[in-house]
Amino acid sequence: MKETRLGEFEEVLLLLVGILNEEAYAFKIAEEFKNQSGRNVSIGSVHSTLDRLKDKGFLTSEMGEPTAERGGRRKRIYSITAIGKRALEQSRDFKVNLWNQYPELALNKLKILGIK
Amino acid sequence: MSIQGNIPPKLAQKLLQWFLKDELLEEVTGDLEEKFELDQETYSLSKARRNYWFQVINYIRPFAIKRSKNSITMMKIGIISSFFKVGYRNLLRHKSFSLINVSGLALGLICFLFIFLWVREEMSVDSFHSKSENLYVIYRNQDADGSVQSSFSTPMRWNNGYHIVVDDMEEAIPEVKNKAYYATGYELPWGYPKTFRYGDKKFKLEGSRASEDFFKVFDYQVIAGDQETPLSDVSSMAISRKMAILFFNSPEEAIGQTLNYEDKYDFQVTAVFEDVTDRSSLQFQYLINWESQMKRLEWSSDQVLTTIELQDGADPQIVAAKLDNYLQSRLDENEDFEDHIGLYPFDQKYLHSTFVNGIPADGLISYMKIFSWVGVFILLVASINFMNLTTARSIKRAKEVAMRKVVGSNKLYLIGQFLCESILIAAVAMVLALGAVALLLPIFNSSLNKSISFPMLDYQFWTICVGLIVLVGFVAGSYPALYLSSLRPIQSLKGLIRISKSSIWFRKGLVVFQFSVSIVLLVVTIFITRQTDYLRSKNLGYDRENIISFRVEGTINSSYEVFKNRLLSMPGIAALDRGSEEPQAMGFEVSKPINWQGKDHEVGFKPSSVGYDYLDLMGLEVVEGRGFSKAHPSDSGAFMINEAAVKQMAIDNPVGKWISAWDKRGKIIGVLKDFHSSSLHEPIKPVILDVKEDLYFGVVIVKTKSGQTEEALASLENIYKEMNPNFPLDYKFMDAAYNNMYQTEMVMGKLSNISALLAIVISCLGLFGLAMFTAEQRTKEIGIRKVLGATVNQLIGLFSKDFLLLVMVAFLVALPLSWYLMKQWLESYAYHVDLSWWVFAVAGLASLLVAFGTISFQSVKVALSNPVKSLRAE
Repeated sequence: MKETRLGEFEEVLLLLVGILNEEAYAFKIAEEFKNQSGRNVSIGSVHSTLDRLKDKGFLTSEMGEPTAERGGRRKRIYSITAIGKRALEQSRDFKVNLWNQYPELALNKLKILGIK
Repeated sequence: MSIQGNIPPKLAQKLLQWFLKDELLEEVTGDLEEKFELDQETYSLSKARRNYWFQVINYIRPFAIKRSKNSITMMKIGIISSFFKVGYRNLLRHKSFSLINVSGLALGLICFLFIFLWVREEMSVDSFHSKSENLYVIYRNQDADGSVQSSFSTPMRWNNGYHIVVDDMEEAIPEVKNKAYYATGYELPWGYPKTFRYGDKKFKLEGSRASEDFFKVFDYQVIAGDQETPLSDVSSMAISRKMAILFFNSPEEAIGQTLNYEDKYDFQVTAVFEDVTDRSSLQFQYLINWESQMKRLEWSSDQVLTTIELQDGADPQIVAAKLDNYLQSRLDENEDFEDHIGLYPFDQKYLHSTFVNGIPADGLISYMKIFSWVGVFILLVASINFMNLTTARSIKRAKEVAMRKVVGSNKLYLIGQFLCESILIAAVAMVLALGAVALLLPIFNSSLNKSISFPMLDYQFWTICVGLIVLVGFVAGSYPALYLSSLRPIQSLKGLIRISKSSIWFRKGLVVFQFSVSIVLLVVTIFITRQTDYLRSKNLGYDRENIISFRVEGTINSSYEVFKNRLLSMPGIAALDRGSEEPQAMGFEVSKPINWQGKDHEVGFKPSSVGYDYLDLMGLEVVEGRGFSKAHPSDSGAFMINEAAVKQMAIDNPVGKWISAWDKRGKIIGVLKDFHSSSLHEPIKPVILDVKEDLYFGVVIVKTKSGQTEEALASLENIYKEMNPNFPLDYKFMDAAYNNMYQTEMVMGKLSNISALLAIVISCLGLFGLAMFTAEQRTKEIGIRKVLGATVNQLIGLFSKDFLLLVMVAFLVALPLSWYLMKQWLESYAYHVDLSWWVFAVAGLASLLVAFGTISFQSVKVALSNPVKSLRAE
């Protein structure tokens, strides 16, 4: 059975695929990752993770139209599947849930509710 | 979007195509190309290329690699790790063999790594300037009647003061972006460390002069003061951090302060620069502005080094041609010599300092090449050891190989097994070698006068180390791997294995090769040592023992008589006089200003002025006529010449004829026996001497009583301090100054000594291993021989004969090669030792003896062993 949990890097990549939408291909995703996180990452490692996410069923991909700027070579555009989206939501909800139990936040909540 | 059609590195693309799955190729090459172009825009082409490699290598991941049945990439990790495990066990099982293998290889690697570090250090000289690619120096060829004088300098002409002829080249030639003049202030022929004074601090320091844009053209970093043009004013100077701290405690405090120069001029510190590194061929503690150089300071030579920064993309050859045209258009057509200039890359100047046919061609670079080859050869000798031992041992492992084959191993796996083993050994040797290099580096540095640091964080170095492991592993492991994997299992299991004739010949050939290399190196090192000894001990025609010298400066000239007489009465001083140069460093040569009775051709003379007692003091011999003497009042207008001068002037009976130097004319009163007035690379040149005891420059030469150097120095310092208080005393011993001229030779001597020693040791290690192996093989044979009555001596002879024959063959191979090499090298000296035959004989005999000694360890042991023991088994 395939592992269906999301790693941190995987999660970020999934999100980036969603953000980039039509432009979600390995090079762009790697650049966007660098811009957003400030960390350098090789295209190869992004590609390999995308490939893994595809195996898990979180992503699908298809080849785009050829463009002139890269010697007429086509890009592989990734898009999120319904399962992928659900996995992202689950991961977010899980974390929000945890944050809500975090003492300070919980206290603040109590304060807001007017209970001491 | 694509910039000038720059494409990613071809090799990386090939690699990608080779390993990447076909279905991924299109998208991946597309992605990487986009990345490449982005990098190129944001950074630079070279960074983009490097990053492309990085990206390609990062695609070597399981998901992206081609699947194919026969490919080695498919070999399971398990198999490879088992290779290493078995290899490791094998290493441990055969401890003595492993020890010989590893230590031989490690020695070879140590030698190689040291040579590599040294060569890389020298290669990197002057490459630190960021504009390095656009920096070119002017070199000059002066052609007078067919005799060409070449140098890295710039033509100058006299017109109310000296001018650089192509001074305004930026205006005439648009490709010239910037230029910097540089003139040394301390090198030969007349340079010396200058005295600086601030308050009561006074120091002698070596520095130079440079033009306004010097700091723009070069990357000598200004750490305080004017960053742009600190040398624009006639009273400005820039000093190093060290000098700033010496006088003013810190670089910041130095700015704006005034330093007194040679008790003559005041200079204001306008900038402090970072201390100049060893990786710079220009060395200076301070820089004085150019206006002072041209108008008021004394020159240390008439050579100005001009460095030009070209515009990006300018073709240096075209610019050089334009420059030369420009020069010709500005020269007087009636001059009786031709002056031409050319351009040479600035960062290559250091390695190519010798001119061949008017072009910088030779120099340190040839030593680099020679020693690179030595490094490669020694590594080869070490690899051969390894190859030889492993092959020799093959019989021991034949059964193992056969078993593996029977069980189902294929040839590829067996080759892999043996290669892994040899790579393992190479890796162990490399680790040892690196440790040894790190430990020995300080000794290496101090003996070569370098400051190389261990390149801990240098990825290029580590890549090379890993590359070496793989390369040596492959080279050394390939033959045994191929040989062993092709053994037929049935025969080996039956114990029928016979070593083929060709493989025996191959191994013998390897031993011959090893010893040839060793013998060549041995011959080379003997000759270099002999030549260096010869240079140091050669009778130069004058005394250089117990002689110290220091410059005439400050009040020394004006109070010379008093100074001389007072010193002569002090303890330890035997004699004292003055001259315009030291006799071993006469660098100045002229031909035009010297005329003589019946002159019909030009002769290049070295002119020098001396005191009356100079000839006696230095022990110069007069062969005809007489020396200068105060008893003849007319001697102040007289001249002496040397034998070489008589010969080249082509005159008979020179004594009594007139000769003139510049506007001074007088009689030749005597002829000096030839003495060496410069390095022994050069033949003795004509010399002309006259008497001048009132020159404001020159040197004072003091002869001390032998064994009383300390007293003499104490006397000297006392009197000097009292009579010349504004200048610190800076004396040198003439024999040390002389030896300094042969720095390169001494370095080469040391390097070649070590290389030869290592080569011999490595070869002997190999021989030792082979002998050990043969002894094991022949235990029974020798046992039987012994039983049948062979004596110990006969057995030793029998055993050694084969090996010694190989060494003799090696000698015959090495003989012509080393003879040719040494002939070439020695001919670069005008004065050199003979190419004596006995050196070759000694080298041959020595290697024979060492080889015999090595083998004896085994042969004696074998010959003395009890035959009962060796025959009992079975």
